[in-house]
Order: sequence, then C-alpha cells, then structure tokens
Amino acid sequence: MMLMAPWRDLLARTNHSAQKWLVQWWRLAHLGAVLLLLSLSPSSYKRADRLVLARHVYDNTAPIMTSFTLLCALISLVLTRIVTTTALSYGLSQYALQVVIRVLVLELIPLTAALFVALRCTIPDGAELAELKARGDLDTLRRQGINPIHREVLPRVMAGIFSTITLAVLSCVVALLVAYVTIYGFNLAGFAGYTRLFGQVFTPAVTLIFIMKTLLFSLAVSLIPMASALYGSAVNNTRTSAEMRGLVRMFAVILLIEVLSLVGNYY
Amino acid sequence: MSEPAAPQPPPEQDHLEVKAVLLLSFMLVLVVASALYVMYARGLFESTQTLVLMSEDSEGVVVGMNLTFSGFPIGRVRRIELAEDGKARIVVDVASKDAHWLRQSSVFTLVRGLVGGTNIRAYTGILTDKPLEDGAVRTVLQGDAGAEVPKLIAAAKDLLESVSTLVSKQGALGASFGNLQTLTARINGPGGALTVLLGGEAEAKKLITALDRTNALLARVDGLAAKADAQVFGEKGVLPETRATVVQLNALLGDARTSLKKVDAVLVEAQAIGANVKDGTSDLKLLRGEVEASLRKVDGLINEINRKWPFARDAEIKLP
Repeated sequence: MMLMAPWRDLLARTNHSAQKWLVQWWRLAHLGAVLLLLSLSPSSYKRADRLVLARHVYDNTAPIMTSFTLLCALISLVLTRIVTTTALSYGLSQYALQVVIRVLVLELIPLTAALFVALRCTIPDGAELAELKARGDLDTLRRQGINPIHREVLPRVMAGIFSTITLAVLSCVVALLVAYVTIYGFNLAGFAGYTRLFGQVFTPAVTLIFIMKTLLFSLAVSLIPMASALYGSAVNNTRTSAEMRGLVRMFAVILLIEVLSLVGNYY
Repeated sequence: MSEPAAPQPPPEQDHLEVKAVLLLSFMLVLVVASALYVMYARGLFESTQTLVLMSEDSEGVVVGMNLTFSGFPIGRVRRIELAEDGKARIVVDVASKDAHWLRQSSVFTLVRGLVGGTNIRAYTGILTDKPLEDGAVRTVLQGDAGAEVPKLIAAAKDLLESVSTLVSKQGALGASFGNLQTLTARINGPGGALTVLLGGEAEAKKLITALDRTNALLARVDGLAAKADAQVFGEKGVLPETRATVVQLNALLGDARTSLKKVDAVLVEAQAIGANVKDGTSDLKLLRGEVEASLRKVDGLINEINRKWPFARDAEIKLP
C-alpha cells in the first residue's frame, strides 16, 4: 500500500492537470460562444458600445496598418526577387510566380498578420483587461449593471478580428501588386497571364482554406489573450503567469491552424 | 479602461466613429474586390464553350490547367472523368473569345515533360476551316517524355548486355580476338603465314617440297628446250632441212609449170580439133535434112501409090 502511494499521487496530479486543461479550453470555447452571440445581438451596438467598439477598432488597426503594409511590401519584394532569380538560374522561371503567390499570399502573409496583430494589439489588450480585472473595475461595472464582457471584452475581440483580417487582405493585395511589378514592371502586358496564374493557384478548395485560416487566425489571436486575462486568476499558483500561458496557448493554436491548412492545401 | 463608468463621449469620439466606419468600409471594399478578382481569375465572368478531349490516361492532368494555343492559354480543364470505355474524359472550358482558334481540323496533344507539369496543346493547321462546335469530342494525341525514359533505359540495357556478351571471352568478339592472337602467334612461328594459309606445318612443308620439285622440273624443262632448239634450229636441224626441201619443191613447181604450158598447147590443138568436129557436125545436119527430105518424098510416093492402088482400104470412118 505504501508503494502505491506515489503512483496514486501521480495519477491524482495528472487528473488534476487534465481537468484544469479541459476547464480552460471549455472556458475559452464558452467565451467564444458568448462573444459570438453578443456580436450578433443588436443590443451590443448601442451608441455607448458603438463608440467603445469604434475606438478599439481604430486604435487596433489604423496605427499599425501603414507600417505593416510597408513591411509586407518589403518582404514581398525581397522574396519575389529571390524566388525569381533562383528560378531563372535553374531555368524554371515559369513556376516562379506560382511559388511567390503560394508562399507569400497563401502562407506567409496571413500568419505574419496574425502574429503582428497579436503582438501589437491583442496581447497588450489582454494585459489591459487583466489589469482592469485586478483593479476590480470589471466588478464595479457589473455592480453598475453593465456586463463587463459586453463593454470591455467584446470590443477588444472584435477589434482584434477586424485588424487581423484587414491587415491580411491589405497585405495580400500589396504583395500581389509588388510581385507583379517586380516581375513585369510598370505595364499591363502581363496582367492577363498573371490573373490566369492567380486563378490557377486559387482553386475553390485553396480559397476556402485561405478564408478559414485567416478567420481562425484572427479568432485565435483575439480570443485567447482575453480568455487568459479573464480566467487567469484561477491559475495564479503555477510557476508561469497567466499571460505567458495564454501566449503559449495562442501560438500553439496558430501553429495547429497553420499545419491543418498546409495539410488541407498540399495533401 | 480606467474609466469604466458610462462615458460621456467627448466631441472627438464622433470623429472616431466616422474613422472606424471608413476603416470598416475600406476592409469591406478590399474583401469584396479580392473576392471579385478571384472569381474573375477563375473565369467565372467569361463565356465559354466546352471541348471534350479523350485520352488514354489522364496522368498529370489537373483541374484548372491550361489548354494552350501557340503558347497562349485559351482554355482550362474543368473536369476529368472516366468514360464508359475506360478512357479519360478531359472536359475543357474554352473562352468564347479565343474559340475561333480551334477549327474542325485542329489537333490536340497531351505532352508530359521530364521537368514540370503536363501540357495540353492545340494546333490548328487550317485556320479557314469550319469552327469547332460547342461540346466537340476529340481524341488527344499523347507524347510522353517520361514514358520514353524506361524504354530508353531498357534498350540501353539490352545494348550493354549485347556488348558485354560480345566482348566477353566466350563472346564472338572475344573468340575472334583469341583466334587473332593464335593467328599472329602462328605467323610468327615456323612456317609463317603459309602455316596459317594451309592449316598446318606439314602442309606448308609439302608446299615447299612441291615448289622445290617444280624448280627442278623447270630446270629440266629448260635443258629440254635447249636441246629442242638445237634440233630444230641447229645446223642440221629441222628447219634448214625444211628450207632445202622448199627450194627443191620450187624447182619441181617450175617443171610442173612448164609441163602445164605444154598441156595448154595440146589443149589448144584439141580445141581446134573440136572446132573441126563441130563443122563436121553442122555438115551432118545438112545431110540429115536432105535425107529427111528424101524420106518425106518417098513417104509421099508410097502414100500416092496406096491411094492409087485398088486394094486401097476405106479410110473413112462411118458414124453409126
């Protein structure tokens, strides 16, 4: 019986961890469902809420849009140049453009946009929310009859989603333009061929996967930091902080989405 | 938010809302424009006509790949399916604006390169031919560089095996070289090339012996010839004797000629005698005429006597 004790402890600990893990994921899913419902409810768009939403949307997108677009244009330029030069040296220039579109537009840019928004907007937003919660402001709101999720969480999550999608789409457009200009120069001679190639890459399945991936990225980077901030106090006794755990979870989810999209696209 | 109470919106917040709406509109425009571009690139807005290509196999053909004419894409593969006869049915959408490049006599090829994808190409020889109708079914000609490689390798393998068989010691070439080596050895050996030609040293010796004997024979023939020469052309040889005989013969011939002249004279005389005989004969003719006339007179006389004679027979012939 004495020998069985360590095993029992280990099992109990494992059980406890699994339970916590499941509870966290359940809370995340629950929060997502609640926010989805709230976002679809017209009562979330009253004037006061609208103003808060507008502020978050603007603050999360406008300041980083220009810098991110420029960064993407630069990366696109460099990558397009590298790919076309390499392809030319191997005599495979007819495949260069397809590689550029696949690598940049389908894979790199949505991921980069999601990570950029996470680092610049949603993780700071999550920290801010955690601070509000620590100060007791959320409880104050609740006492005033205002749902804190409604007032503080929903605008941040929606702003994160909006920002990710906007940056991803804008950067894709910029990357396509830069790739075109790098290969064909400033003329419209190659537009028909370029469009045809683009159409060949963007088959219905690939387009659907691309849309789903971008949406899931935006959800992951917006929702997980908020969930960590809201439910972080429950795991204060662990070594790592709630924000850190939230970050790790967010990157794991992003990685999983990326892997799934790659599997969908290439298998 | 540090001020969680229901906020009294400052004046600039109205401005902020407009900005947010603009941003939202911008995103919507981007998304809609991107979606429209993808649809345009996928050919959703262009009118097409269908072309069905029948192929032995559809390996390398993917949905969305181009049908090219002179290197320009004029259509794209919409669907690949298995026909009832087991062949691959490649359904191609050809843009209506480019369909005039395809004619009744157009030829379609499916070419697989060693590097890169498969290409479907159209070739039109007669551009004035009737246009290809919508839904036309054509057989695609296949050329496969990749499929040629295993054949090539198999052929090369066969060739190499043949060469190695040929070159091996048991092979024809090896045996030939062995024989050549034996040949050169025998040429270098006693008897030399004759041994090679005659098949053995003994045969070569026989030939040499034969040659020696021939030489001896020739020497003897030489002596014989000398003797014959002496006998024929010597002082008392056949030829001088013959010459003397010929001289004698000439003298004889002169005598003969003289005798003949004499005969000639005799003949002239005989001719003169002949002429006399001829004259005699003409005299005889006259004589004979006279005799015949006398006889005719005698005959007439007898006839006269017969008529005058009382015992004359009745010479008339009475018809019955």
